[in-house]
Amino acid sequence: MRNSADVVIIGGGISGCSVAYNLAKKGVKNIVVLEKRFICGGSTGACGAGVRMQWGTEMNCLFSKYSIEFFEHANETLEYDGDIEFKQKGYLLIADTDREIEQFKKNIEVQHACGIPSRMVSLDEARSIVPHLNTSILKGAAFCEKDGFLNPFHTTDAYYRAARRLGVEFLHPVTVIGLTTSGGRISGVVTDKGVIHTNCVINAAGGASKQICDMVGISVPVISERHQILVTEPVEPMQEPMVMSFGLNLYVQQSPHGSFIMGRGCDAEPRDGRVTSSHEFLSEMAKTITRTLPPIGKLRVVRQWAGLYNITPDRQPIYEKSADVNGFYMCIGFSGHGFMFGPVTGVVMSEMILGETPTIDASKLSLGRFGRGEMVFEPSVV
Amino acid sequence: MRIENHPVLDFKRGKQISFIFNGKAIDAFEGETIQAALHAAGVRVLGHSLTLHRPRGFYCAIGNCSSCMMVVDGVPNVRTCVTPVREGMVVELQEGKGIIE
Repeated sequence: MRNSADVVIIGGGISGCSVAYNLAKKGVKNIVVLEKRFICGGSTGACGAGVRMQWGTEMNCLFSKYSIEFFEHANETLEYDGDIEFKQKGYLLIADTDREIEQFKKNIEVQHACGIPSRMVSLDEARSIVPHLNTSILKGAAFCEKDGFLNPFHTTDAYYRAARRLGVEFLHPVTVIGLTTSGGRISGVVTDKGVIHTNCVINAAGGASKQICDMVGISVPVISERHQILVTEPVEPMQEPMVMSFGLNLYVQQSPHGSFIMGRGCDAEPRDGRVTSSHEFLSEMAKTITRTLPPIGKLRVVRQWAGLYNITPDRQPIYEKSADVNGFYMCIGFSGHGFMFGPVTGVVMSEMILGETPTIDASKLSLGRFGRGEMVFEPSVV
Repeated sequence: MRIENHPVLDFKRGKQISFIFNGKAIDAFEGETIQAALHAAGVRVLGHSLTLHRPRGFYCAIGNCSSCMMVVDGVPNVRTCVTPVREGMVVELQEGKGIIE
């Protein structure tokens, strides 16, 4: 294994691959990406694959809009031989309480100010968009036709291949076991395969981001919580948009293959790095989906899996150039939406590292916001 | 063709019944699977593969391989090799991934 690099990126998920690609495109040489398992083998590969612009904070709206506009042309931009399978069939957000409807209306004002084509829809219209929706339990819905979902494996692969063509080296399986500093500056990365000397390290380690920060004595307020998903047997296409509800606690999409992929959160999920599956999830998910979208209840479950939400107190990522350790950067704490912000992460981090004028202002997402109490709380998360 | 004598298993044949396959009446015995009856009746093509549309025949016979999925009484994706046949059942060949309502 090589023993020095100009830049070492820890994590071979969407964030690491996107940062690597953006840096290489700007001419940075000797970039190495270290991945513990395999490319897309962590939370990116376990995610629900949805991308939406229907958020409650201006920043999330702008980030996701940027990402979605990127995904629309990603096959061409990244010169990908495959297909990222971006299907813009919309997100139908459904609500079963008046309080949530009020939140949707507030969110839509923010979204419209950002140029996002979202709107409230009547229950009749919701049913025309998703005919098998049980509207009898609902109060209303919101819809944005430009939202959608795409294949996380192919998308990460597209970034990975583009980065490799630009000379980025990917090493896996390689586990980072320590970081060294010298005079307040990063000096190297200690791995299970040897030491790499470098003055620049980017923490894009997803579920393991806190452990990486701990290696240089930086304390970050993130926890890694298990979130579970299941997939059913495939049937012919019957549901175009992602259906999501914060109150009912569910999101469900029908993949291009015909299977339904669905997930929900749970307060009792373990926070010790486990990505096992539980029967409680299976049973709660089945109850929720059967009540909300009854025909889907007839399908067999093929498989369950889980990934880690790297969660911050305000459910927003941390984009940070460390003030304490020179040459240490982090893009962590995506709180369950790291995949959809992947394109933004690459741009924000590469500009931060190279000291360029930011195209997207992510200054409110520095680590210091927690100490100053300047959090930007996102109300709309499953 | 039905297995009459098996070195290990003992087939207790129930009374003769009839069900509908693609609009045609087929004889069967109570206690056997839909596939056992279809095989005995000479049905060899159970569906077509989803991508290349090649014919699929009786394969695993234990509910794993997806080769024998049919529409039974309106329900798609029924694994007919492990589903007992019943009097008057309506079984249809399934093309594609199945439609649920």
